[in-house]
Amino acid sequence: MTEPIDPQAPAMPEAPTGPYVYDYMAAPNRQVVLPKTVPLPSLRTYQAEVVTAAAADEAKWQKQLADFEVAKAKAEVEGKDAPKPPVRAVPRKDDNDLKTPWPTEAKDADLLKLQELLGDKVEEIFEQAGERVCQVKKEAVLEALKVCRDAASLKYEMLADQSATHYPAAKDFAFSIVYHLTSVSRCQRLRLRILVPEGFIPESACSLYPSANWMEREIYDMLGIRFANHPDMTRILCPEDWEGFPLRKEYPTVGLGQRDIDFRDDRGGVLNRLAMEKAGQMGINLKQPKAD
Amino acid sequence: MFKNEEMEINLGPQHPSTHGVLRVKLHLDGETVTKCTPIIGYLHRGVEKICENQTYFQGQVWTDRMDYVASISNNLGWAEGVEKLFGIEVPRRAKYIRTMLTEQNRLASHLLWLATHALDIGAMTVFLYAFREREYLLDLFEAFCGARLTTTAFRIGGLREDLPPGFIKSAQAFQDRFLPCIDEYEELLTENRIWKKRTVGVAKLNAEDCIALGVTGPVLRAAGVPYDIRKAFPNAAYAEMDFEIPTRPEADTYARYLVRLAEMRQSHRIIQQCIEGLPEGPVMAKIPKILRSEVNEVYHPIEAPKGELGYYFVGEKGGTMPYRMHVRAPSFVNLQALSKMTEGRLLADVIAAIGTLDVVLGEIDR
Repeated sequence: MTEPIDPQAPAMPEAPTGPYVYDYMAAPNRQVVLPKTVPLPSLRTYQAEVVTAAAADEAKWQKQLADFEVAKAKAEVEGKDAPKPPVRAVPRKDDNDLKTPWPTEAKDADLLKLQELLGDKVEEIFEQAGERVCQVKKEAVLEALKVCRDAASLKYEMLADQSATHYPAAKDFAFSIVYHLTSVSRCQRLRLRILVPEGFIPESACSLYPSANWMEREIYDMLGIRFANHPDMTRILCPEDWEGFPLRKEYPTVGLGQRDIDFRDDRGGVLNRLAMEKAGQMGINLKQPKAD
Repeated sequence: MFKNEEMEINLGPQHPSTHGVLRVKLHLDGETVTKCTPIIGYLHRGVEKICENQTYFQGQVWTDRMDYVASISNNLGWAEGVEKLFGIEVPRRAKYIRTMLTEQNRLASHLLWLATHALDIGAMTVFLYAFREREYLLDLFEAFCGARLTTTAFRIGGLREDLPPGFIKSAQAFQDRFLPCIDEYEELLTENRIWKKRTVGVAKLNAEDCIALGVTGPVLRAAGVPYDIRKAFPNAAYAEMDFEIPTRPEADTYARYLVRLAEMRQSHRIIQQCIEGLPEGPVMAKIPKILRSEVNEVYHPIEAPKGELGYYFVGEKGGTMPYRMHVRAPSFVNLQALSKMTEGRLLADVIAAIGTLDVVLGEIDR
């Protein structure tokens, strides 16, 4: 005979609520302002922006002209002096040494060769600030790296750097991962870029470039992107029990508890008292021990 | 009876020969290293995150605190990286002064390396000799910018001010006495039997492994690959300088020692050319007080004393702060090669290998 199963589940200890837990995530200066734009350099975006800006400028000018015609007609009817005709605004020219490097069409032989070899796996190629950029499909990154390393006319033997950037405002991706390749024999450089959404696991470059080992661990540590077929996908700079990924844009930059308070502004000692209370609630003893 | 089992020991993080807070986990079979795992992160300060929340001008001071032995090289990388992001052309005089200071800093860094590396292996005298010259160089930096180590020597767009009066004279005085000093170090070490026993054939890393592991700088050049960013992708005024890239084919610790000493002679040559050919003119480009970037990303590599130092910036439209800043630290990438260099070798060679890689933990952990 088996005993009847107790229908009542064992009572779980309730999570402490109320004033005993200091909700540091809700502290006012931990509220992070997320970026609203997606600063991903791209020739296509830039060209679209130029076209939009030109159209807006033209529309503004047409509106000025139309307003002028209306004002002129009104002045004629009322018998006043005709208003001044509008002057088209010239872009302001700053007197400084800045020459902003805009993205330009790819004319470089390496980039064209790469596009020829990879075909439709290439999403975009362009040049900016004297650097070559090639964006490939996220599934084809290993193939692209292999072509870069092994093709006789490319020979990018060294993976100099690999890093990633978080774009929380982007719609169809969350991170860009860039591979900075160097050809030691030809003295050339190339930036390979992939865009990955949250949760996507790109292939690790370790099988082709062993130097990717620590760089990918750093990316995982800082941004939480995992890589498939990596020999040791663990944290590298932070301790292994660290919570969160520091280089994500939603990660706050201020500390916990009493650090939320700027004591320099605390004239009446009110903040100090609050901090002591909060620290007490968190189980931290900030008070100086009294001498017996 | 002897126990025949592997022992696991920790070298560091508080060990004088690990040059900071490096921890190396070693598996030993007797005195032979069977497995070597470097563990890093004890000095992590989150420089990249901090720089995302500071303007381009403010972020520069953090570069001093990464490779604190060669802070002027770090300043150069930051300043030139930001200039590339904004498209700023620096006046020629500023470029020359930058080149001169960077080379003097390379000398200071190599001298510190020589001193501590020799001390690790057991040659005490070189330490005192090398620090004597390094002190003179630090005095020069102090005369230029008021700081000996955390220099923040350059500004975005050039220099804060011109060289102080008498700087060229002191620099020339150093030039005149430095070459015999290198001969002194060589006299102490190059044909020293103990030194050769501890370094020849130790911690080998051939050219293929170097390139596969991304190892750059003197370690790569000691493996016979003449790759130097000053020649391959000239920055500052290096395109106008006449110098050679010293290489050695042996790829061991002794070869790296010889390459670094030869590099010091080349740096001496570059400084001399800078002093003699220093052009007149302004030292600061015309730039606005507030720099607002356009959407752009740049990666700017320079040849730091330890290898390729790269700064990666992503600029936001209208942003005064970098959207993303990443440092490709030479020591971080070079340290990956430690396992390859030491596995199967003796425990005492691990100390030589750490020294010959010339790692600085401030830069590895950032």
